[in-house]
Amino acid sequence: MIRALSTLAVVAALTVLFGLSAQTAHAQSTSLTSEQIDHIRSNCTTIKSTLNQLHASDALLRVNRGQVYESMASKLMGPFNSRLSNNRLDARATSAVTTSYRTALDAFRSNYKSYEEKLSSAIRIDCFNQPELFYNTIEQARINRAKVHDDVLKLHRSIDDYRSAVGDFLLNFERISE
Amino acid sequence: MADQIILQPDEDMTFWDKHRLSLLLILSVLIALTLTVVSMVAYNASGTAQLDLSRPGVSSVSDKVDRTDKITEYSGFGAVNKDSINEFTKLYDAQAEKAKAVDAFNGDPLNPEILEFGITANE
Repeated sequence: MIRALSTLAVVAALTVLFGLSAQTAHAQSTSLTSEQIDHIRSNCTTIKSTLNQLHASDALLRVNRGQVYESMASKLMGPFNSRLSNNRLDARATSAVTTSYRTALDAFRSNYKSYEEKLSSAIRIDCFNQPELFYNTIEQARINRAKVHDDVLKLHRSIDDYRSAVGDFLLNFERISE
Repeated sequence: MADQIILQPDEDMTFWDKHRLSLLLILSVLIALTLTVVSMVAYNASGTAQLDLSRPGVSSVSDKVDRTDKITEYSGFGAVNKDSINEFTKLYDAQAEKAKAVDAFNGDPLNPEILEFGITANE
């Protein structure tokens, strides 16, 4: 009886595991029809050219935006928090927003790296001989690019939050100073 | 007393004595190779590679990097009063406007429909 139950448990566990792995595999790769594969092959050069242009323009965007985002934290938020702390004033709210801003900035860097690696990898793939791999790699790059955009939105929200925190601080400061 | 050079007979020399120049060269090359590999791994793993616009494929845009936007750093030292806070908010608002001016990485340029894969997004 115990042996039968344990066998049943093992079979159930294996079924669940198999189901999960099959789902993951389905999410990670898409099978293409022969017509779609032919379409990719015939547009191979055009798609590669578009990817190369996107790769270059996104690299420039990363550098220029990265500079602006980095300077917000290192040249404005950080020094202002330090000045408040040096004057023994409450910098908890502004520091908390700065921490979340830096977390979003780290995620932006990391997700951009993943995106760029996938896009570079797609550009290197021979789309004529490996159209499915090419398609799936671009899909992964697409998902990673969407994550980078989410990080940008989070950074913008943190920038607004910090401004609100400074506004609140100024209000309290004026009230105490009166 | 003048220094004398004493020549050691070949048969008295050990293996290391005979090949020390070759060993020095081999060791130097190995150290250089190791350091190069370590540097390349650090270059790729740290994300520096993604910021390097001199790489093949992205060098065409390297002259378009914005070098004019020099932000004034706010001093972390000094008194906190209404004027110093207003000075900060003025700097901050100007920079925040620049930061939010571009909705970077928006859109969906890798959408199969846009890339003309002949595949609709729902497939």
